[in-house]
This record gives sequence, structure tokens and C-alpha cells, in this order.
Amino acid sequence: MPDLGRDYRIIGFLCNWCSYGGADAAGVARFNQPTDLRIIRVPCSGRVDPMFVAKALLSGADGVLVSGCHPRDCHYTEGNLYARRRLELLRRFLPIIGIDEGRFEYVWVSASEGSRWRDMVTKFTDKIHSLGHIPRMAETARTLCALEGMLGASSAQPDMWHADASGRQPRHDALLHMDDYKEVMDGE
Amino acid sequence: MRIGVMVCHAAREFPDVVFATDHMYACSDPGQGTIEQTIRSLKLDGVVVASCSPRMHEVTFRRAVERAGLNRYMFEMANIREHVAWISLDRKRNTEKATDLVRMAVEKLRHNRPLTAKSFEVQKRVLIIGAGVAGIQAALDCAEGGLDVILVERRQSIGGVMSKLDKTFPTVDCSVCVLGPKMVDVGQHPRITLLALSEVEELSGYVGNFEVKIRKKSAFVDWTKCTGCGACLEKCPSKKVRDSHNEGITTTTAITIPFPQAIPKRAAIDPAVCLHFTKGKCGVCKKVCPADAIDYDMQDEIVTEKVGAVIAATGLDLFDHRKCGEYGGGRYPDVITSLQYERMLSASGPTAGHIKRPSDGTEPKTVVFISCVGSRDRSVDRPYCSNFCCMYTAKQAILTRDHIPDSRAYVFYMDIRATGKGYEEFVRRAQEEYEVQYIRGRVAQIYPTTGEDGNQLMVRGADTLLGTQVEIKADLVVLAVGAESAHGAPALAEKLRISYDAYGFFLESHPKLRPVETNTVGVFLAGACQAPKDIPASVAQASAAAGKVLALLSKDKLESDPQIAQVQTMRCIGCGKCERTCPFGAIRMRELRDGSKRAEVVETVCQGCGICSVTCPVRAIQLAHFTDSQLLAEVNALCRTWDETTES
Amino acid sequence: MASNSSASDSPDRIKTLRAKIASELPNVDFVLGYGRGFDPLHATPVTVRTEKDLDRLIFDPTCVQNLATSLYGLRGKRLGVVVKGCDSRSIVQLLQERLWERENLVVFGLPCEGVIDLAKLRVTMDIASVKAVRFEGSVRDGKVVLTLPEGERELPSAGLLADKCLRCQHPNPLVSDHLIGPEIEPQGAQDTYADLAALEKLSTQERFDFWKRQMGRCIRCYACRNACPLCVCKHVCLADSREPHWLSAEATLQEKWLFQVMHALHLAGRCTECGECQRSCPMGIPILLLKRMMNRELKELFNYQAGVSLEAVPPLHTFLMEEDRIKDRGLLW
Repeated sequence: MPDLGRDYRIIGFLCNWCSYGGADAAGVARFNQPTDLRIIRVPCSGRVDPMFVAKALLSGADGVLVSGCHPRDCHYTEGNLYARRRLELLRRFLPIIGIDEGRFEYVWVSASEGSRWRDMVTKFTDKIHSLGHIPRMAETARTLCALEGMLGASSAQPDMWHADASGRQPRHDALLHMDDYKEVMDGE
Repeated sequence: MRIGVMVCHAAREFPDVVFATDHMYACSDPGQGTIEQTIRSLKLDGVVVASCSPRMHEVTFRRAVERAGLNRYMFEMANIREHVAWISLDRKRNTEKATDLVRMAVEKLRHNRPLTAKSFEVQKRVLIIGAGVAGIQAALDCAEGGLDVILVERRQSIGGVMSKLDKTFPTVDCSVCVLGPKMVDVGQHPRITLLALSEVEELSGYVGNFEVKIRKKSAFVDWTKCTGCGACLEKCPSKKVRDSHNEGITTTTAITIPFPQAIPKRAAIDPAVCLHFTKGKCGVCKKVCPADAIDYDMQDEIVTEKVGAVIAATGLDLFDHRKCGEYGGGRYPDVITSLQYERMLSASGPTAGHIKRPSDGTEPKTVVFISCVGSRDRSVDRPYCSNFCCMYTAKQAILTRDHIPDSRAYVFYMDIRATGKGYEEFVRRAQEEYEVQYIRGRVAQIYPTTGEDGNQLMVRGADTLLGTQVEIKADLVVLAVGAESAHGAPALAEKLRISYDAYGFFLESHPKLRPVETNTVGVFLAGACQAPKDIPASVAQASAAAGKVLALLSKDKLESDPQIAQVQTMRCIGCGKCERTCPFGAIRMRELRDGSKRAEVVETVCQGCGICSVTCPVRAIQLAHFTDSQLLAEVNALCRTWDETTES
Repeated sequence: MASNSSASDSPDRIKTLRAKIASELPNVDFVLGYGRGFDPLHATPVTVRTEKDLDRLIFDPTCVQNLATSLYGLRGKRLGVVVKGCDSRSIVQLLQERLWERENLVVFGLPCEGVIDLAKLRVTMDIASVKAVRFEGSVRDGKVVLTLPEGERELPSAGLLADKCLRCQHPNPLVSDHLIGPEIEPQGAQDTYADLAALEKLSTQERFDFWKRQMGRCIRCYACRNACPLCVCKHVCLADSREPHWLSAEATLQEKWLFQVMHALHLAGRCTECGECQRSCPMGIPILLLKRMMNRELKELFNYQAGVSLEAVPPLHTFLMEEDRIKDRGLLW
């Protein structure tokens, strides 16, 4: 996807003690870096709720980068070790909902590793640029949902087990959509 | 809510923002003054400063905000310097990014709540790890300041590298004569508990209330009985033990007192070489000891101490020159390290101050010194300058000419770094007064000569000033080996929860303004554990660290950081998952009258990591100042902007 | 009701169940069991407080509900509960997480060959017209005889088995005080996660679109959450909370989608795949897939399965200094 001259939407969650310091060090050293990343400072990578990442990606972020202290080097001893498990699980989970695994990454960068931070940011940003913008759902979704909401009263929640006025059992709405599901499941 | 934004011009459009301005240097006195005035005149409830990193000036601005009557947590920073201006020159993108960062800060601030610190009692005691000159100085300063000091040294005696040196530069004072009295003071000071042959096992707790577990390794000699008479040393049959105090240029016994000025002057057995332990059949020392101090069954002992602060002063180790094949890789006996040479120069050393070639014991007439061995050398992953080698090389060259007047001394160097007080003059004296030949260039190869002078070493190198090859037949080559972090430093850093760099040197909190502090409050640095340093710099940092500790512990109570976990009792379901994952044991379950349980945070123990918050299934435990809502506000601030920009 | 008797619902077994429950009634506040629902295809949870309630108890392949779901809301009481093999895993999980005290629970365990998934039946007929149901032979290879207005119709019952039964490895309750009936051999096939594999064959964009269609139908009724035996915090659920404010009331796609992701993340290392969330979804959204994805990865990463051991430490509540199966992410660059 071509670079449209505008930053991609990348959110970084950085622990205060190591990686935020590393990002500062990269700045102090005047390492040239892509500007796309917006950093949110947290005390520890252990504070990074995988749900923040999910929330960001589902709200239109093109990529999320979490960075903490190296294992064994956590300011709080164990925070990054819990984070590693949580974030690895999330990383493996995201593809199933149609979010490319490259859109989320977690890394370890210490406060002294300004150049490593520069490398991480550059590579991650490049990766996101190569993936392009995340699929959008916002605008269309809003219209769709509004429509669905209007229809909802009459057709979206059919009475499952009772016949309608015509005496015929309406085919449950869920089943209509089950076809979609079945199609996928039997699709090969 | 009424929020003020300083610096950014584009901030007025944000919700609740009533004021935006810029200032040349917001952190300066007038800058802070403006912030205070604005808060008062516009009755602001919150302030965003868009400037540098919060790691730099958050504390400064929080104080300013507090002076104007606001709670110090009603303040946020947008880092538009380190994270924007300094990483890109694209003005348009930088402006967009800076605007986003300010927007995020404003949105977070809208969810901030005033927080109040609680106070807690402190232990007026300090743990000092490492008893080289830095540790010794810090210990004496702290003790003189009225603190109880626990001084832990892993070797048998205190003194560190300085106790091995012959003379110091640039005064050419006797090293151990300067250090010795301080060592004695440490041994005698009523406030200093010296634990030699001991190592820190574990550190827990937090500033003001650390608990440290120290392993006192078994010396197999009861030091309460040992008088240091040395009778055991004379009779010990294993005499071929590498003498580490003398850098291996001589041997010692399995039971030793490392050097005459040792503190504590007590004997210890090295079980790895003692015949009693290796062969199970010697017992001579036990027989000869007049004090009956030998105890072969002695075990390591773990002692626990409570301290309020910690100073790490673990010093340095030296580069192993065997990695450098061009200097012989350790194969030639007459290629020695600078510290071995130092021991040879020392009047109390194994050669009683006489310079002798290790190979044949003769006095060398030509001595070549090679600088930067394991310093400023990327090929051996030692790109940094070791700081003091230029100076000790000049000193050793001077001493060579002093000890052997008819000798010649050559120094191969890359640059001469003589930046201290009197240092440049000292190098000049070496060159001019002592006629030491300085050759600017690297040595490419050392190899033994053959033929009639077959017991010499040919040193082949370049003279980059003359643009020629140089070959010097040397009797002795001294390698100015560089400094490395002390063996095991990273492991200790992990115990202390402090950071270290790629080379194992401990990381200070700020390279310019907080060179003594670490990122773990209450843990300080002194000496070469932070970076290679010479004696005056180590002593200065040690006194600085002691000053920091004294200031910290001068108060009877400390304020706890209010950025800690808080439980929404109404939402807590009492599942106890937070209690199980807290690394600090800061959460306990409290039983309510109906028998149900709720989590409770022990405020002084909580360190504010936020692990619990993510563990909690209902997020009923929230980290103050970094709550879900605050972080979500930042995420939302960004996503909303993006919605707007992509739709347009 | 005679038409409901089946192979599983052998008169002996139900008699034993009733007798065991009767013997425990003095020790408990009440017992949760299965009764006949509003039609022959539906079972419903019933509470047995006295001996005269015993007659209402049934057990057959229509007893799909996981009765463990009701437990947490009833804590403080001393209860009995009737469980199938799969349901018992929820009990194990609740006990492991100390969300219920073992001494306040009497478990009546029923080895189970499988239950039927009405969604599978609904594809072939109007299930509201079924007047009576009879199971003949074992559920695995027998048949189900349905009485319809036009007459009887026979179907192989295996074709109606719930997906979870097809891969069931725990037909026998893992925890029980009274085991009713003989234990049976696991007959489920090894779980190959074929459903996930099918989804993974799609491109990322197609997968995104798939979920976009699926999630778009969500009506945020939270039936999935309410049916989940491990959503013990539903009364203070993050979805309804305004502080912290994770989800807004806006009916946007991303709010719906985020809720399902939150639910899956929330159950990571806890979900026993009882399938109640998906079964209860009125919109037929295949949300169990999300939890199965978590479980597959948890198994691969930490060799962990929820609800099989009382002593196991949940993988996200612990760590190893060196993780065997997690590569150092920093080095992948």
C-alpha cells in the first residue's frame, strides 16, 4: 500500500522504567525514526491489559506495539513475565478474528537501548505500512447497526419456538446466518 | 473541569481546555512561575505541559502545580521533545503527532483524580554492597552521619582494586598507605557491621523498609577466635594456590590472609584447594592454630537485615587479554597485565617492589606498554573507554624509569585521555622528565625473538604520526587492560531490581542529573559498578551516594507513592487472583461480616506495577493514576482523531 | 411422559439418582437437577427441596444445560447438583479458583454418552411440532424416534449429537460424591480443531469479514455471558461498568466485537468448552470458536486444559523465567 503522506495509526504501550526510557534515549541521541507511533506510558508491561490492545485494534489502530523491560530485568521483578504470557496468547489469538498477526507485537527494550528502540520502531512501522490500514468497520458499521436497530424490533429477534400468524414456523434468523458459518466450516 | 495547556498552540479546541499558551523554557523559574500564575488566575483544575519527557521533569512540574494549590496529580505531560521533535524533522507530521500527544494528555487528565501520599516509618540503616574504595567511603560517610551500616564484601578482605595498587596517579602516593587507615576505620567503627566473605542473596521490600538476606560464606575458621597471627599460613602444606591478591604472579596457601593490611585480618580456607577437603587427610592448620579457630564443619549462614536504603558499590573486574591473539593470547609469560605489573611494583608485593621478568626473574631493560587492551575495541565487544588506563600507564612508565634508571619505556597509545586535575601535566612529566617514548599507534603483533637474544619479545606496530612501521625488542610487555563490570553484576542488579547496560554496568536514573540514583527508589550507586572510574571519581560518587542516603533517611517518615492499587470494594468478588499474582505480597483478603471476602491493598508495600489490575476479572482493582479509564481515555483520544481524519 | 424414556434414561439409573438425592436432602438446602421443560425436546433445571420433588427429575440426551452455571449465584448455601462429565469440569474450575467451597457442595455425577444439539435438528424440521421423543439404543449408535403430527420419524441419534460430545474426552464426572451408573469409555474423537482450521484457511480479510457479519448480528443481550458457568462476575461485569468504562452503550460493531473478545480473553485458561455461550446465543453467533482458539493456543503454549485438575495453577497466573514455548519476541526482528 502506498504511503499516503500521513502517519499510520500505531499505538505503543511502554513501561516507564525501561522502554519509555529507551524511547527517550533514542530521542536524546537524535535517532531519526518514523513518526507514526503514539506512545502511552504505563508503569510496567504487566499493566498492559491485552484488552487495551484489542480495544485499540478494533477501534481502528493499524498496529499496537508493547514494550517492556527484558525478562529478569523488570523493575517490579515479575511484571514482564506475566505480560509475556498474556501478550503471547493475545498475539496468537488475533489472527482468528481477522487481524493480521503482524499488527501486534511485544518486545523488550531497556532504558539504555536507544538504538534498539529505533530499530524496533522502524521495523514495526515498516511492517504496518506494508500491511496497510486495518480493515475498517467504524463508519459502515455505524450505519449498518442503525439499520439493524430499526429492523430489530420486527425481525432481528424472532420468537424462536412459536409459529407466526400464518401458522408457519419462521426459520430462525440465526439459522440463516448459520449458513454463513456452515459454508466456512464445510467450505474446503 | 478547567484544564490549562502550556506550550501547544493548537490545544484550545480540546474539550475542557480553557487556556493554552507557550513558553520558551517551561521548566525554568519564570516558566514555572507562569504556570502557577495561570492556575490561580484562571482557576484551573488541571494542567498539561507539552515539553520534554516526564522522566525528566514530571517531578519539577508537579511541584509547581502543587505550589499553585492544585493536587500534584492533576497534571500530565506530553512528551513532544524526545518522542517528536528529536526523532524527526518532518514538521507537518511532527505537528500532527504533537497535537495527538497533547490530546491524549488532555483526555487522560480529564480522568485524573487528586491523590494524597501516606507516610510510613523508615529503617535508619543502610546496606552497602562491595567494600572497595567506593564502598568504604560510602560506609564511613553514612556511619559518620549517624546511620547503621551493613557493609557486605564478597572477598575475604575489604579494599578492592585499590588495595592492590602500588601508587596512585597523579601524586604517586602509596595506594595502600592512603587506603589502609580508612580500612581500619571501617573495621573499628561502632556503626559499621562488616560482613566479609558474604554475598547478597535476596532483597525484598521497598525504600525505607528493605529486607536483605545475606549469605555469610563459611571461612572454615571461626573469626571470633582467629587472631590473624598467621601460624596456619606458615604450616599449610598446599602452597601452590593461585594468589588472587597478587594477580597470580605468585602462589599462596590454601588457608590465607590475603595481604598484611587485610581487614578483617582473619584467615580463611579455600575448600576447593585445601587438602582436608579435596583429599580428606590434612589437618595441619587445626593442629597449629593457637586459638583453636579452625572449624572444618562450618556451614554458610544466612543473615537477615532490615535497611532503609542500599548502595551498590561492586566495582569492576578486568578485561581478559587472552581474547586478544595479537598480544599472544596469554601464551607469553613476559606479556603481563597492568595490575600484575602493579603488584610487582608494590613494595609489599611478591617481588618486594623489584621488577622481574616472570620468565627468568631478570630485570627488564626495555618495557613496552600497550594502551586500550579491551577498551575502545569493537572487535572484542568493548567499545567504551575504560577511563583510567591512560593515566595508570603513564604512572607505571614513570615508575619503571624510577625503579630501573637505565631502562627504556615505550607506550603504544590511541589517544591520551588525561582530563582530570593535574592529569595532563602528569603525562607531560612522563614524556618530558622521564623520557617515556609515546608512540601513537596500535600493536599488530607480539612474537618471541629468536637467535642470540631469543628470550625477548618483538613488538610490531604502527606509528601513525610518522606513518611508519615500528618494531621494538622488549623484555617485558605490559597490557593496559580495560575495565569490565564486576563478575556477577547483572545477577545482583536483578536482585536489586535495578537496570544494567549491555556490558553489565548499572544504570543510573539520569545520566546527567541523577547519576547516583537508580530507577529503584532507595537504591544508589557508587564507584565503578556504574561505569569505569578512577579513585577520585569513585570516592566522589560514594560520598554523593552517602549524602543521598543520609538525606533520604534524615526523615523519620517517608511518603509513599499514592500511585498504587486501589480496590473498588463494591465490585470486588473476592476471588483472590490479585493476591496470588502480586509480586510484593501487597494484597490480602479481608473477610467481611457476612463471611465473604474482599481484596485489600497494603499501601506501603504496593509498588504500583498494575499486574493485579490485569489479573482481576472485573478490573475491580485499579492502579491509581493509571486506571483503565485513564488509559482508555488515551486510546480513545487517538482512535477518535483517526476516525475524524480518515472520514474527512 | 413415557415417551421420554430412553436408553440413557434407564429406569434403574433415574431410580438410583432419586434415591441418592433423597439420602442427601437432609444435608443440603436443595438439589439442582434436570426436569422436563416446556416440550419433549427441552429439559429445564429444577430444584429438589423435598422428597415430593423427586418425581420431577429426569436424565436423558435432552439434558443439555450446564447446571454449574447457577452455582455461583447461590453461594452461601449448601447445595447438591447433578452434573454430566463435561459439566463437572466447570465444577472443578470453580473449586480450583476457590469460587465455591467443596464442603458446601454435593455432586451427583452422571456418566454421559452425549446430548443432542437442537440446532442440528432444527435444520431438518420444525421442532415445535414434535409431540414426543424416544431414544432407542445408545446415543452414539442408536436412534431417536420423534412423534410428529404426520407420524413417527426416526433419525440416527449420532447425527444430532452436540459437537462437544463428538470430541468428548471426559464422559465421566471428574468430581462427584455420588456416581450414578457405571463409568463409560470416552468415545469422542481427538479434538483436531478442524473448525478453527477451516476458518484459518480463509484470508485475514475474509476472516475479518466473516466476524464482521457474525458480530454485526449481536444484540448485546449477554445471554452468552449469563449462560457461562465461569462468568461469576456477571453482576459487576465490565460490559456494564461505567468505571472502568470499557464498553459504551452504543450499538456499534466494535463494541459488540470487543465484548466477545473480552469474554474470550476473560475465560482464557478457565473455559472448559461446555458450549453454553454459543448454545444460548439467540442469534446463532459461533462464539465458542473464539474460546476454542484460546484453548488451542493455551494447550500449545502451556500444555494446559482448564477444569481437569483441582490443583493446577492457571497459566496466566504464573510464569516461568524461561518460557519453553515462547520465543523471545525481540529476536524475531
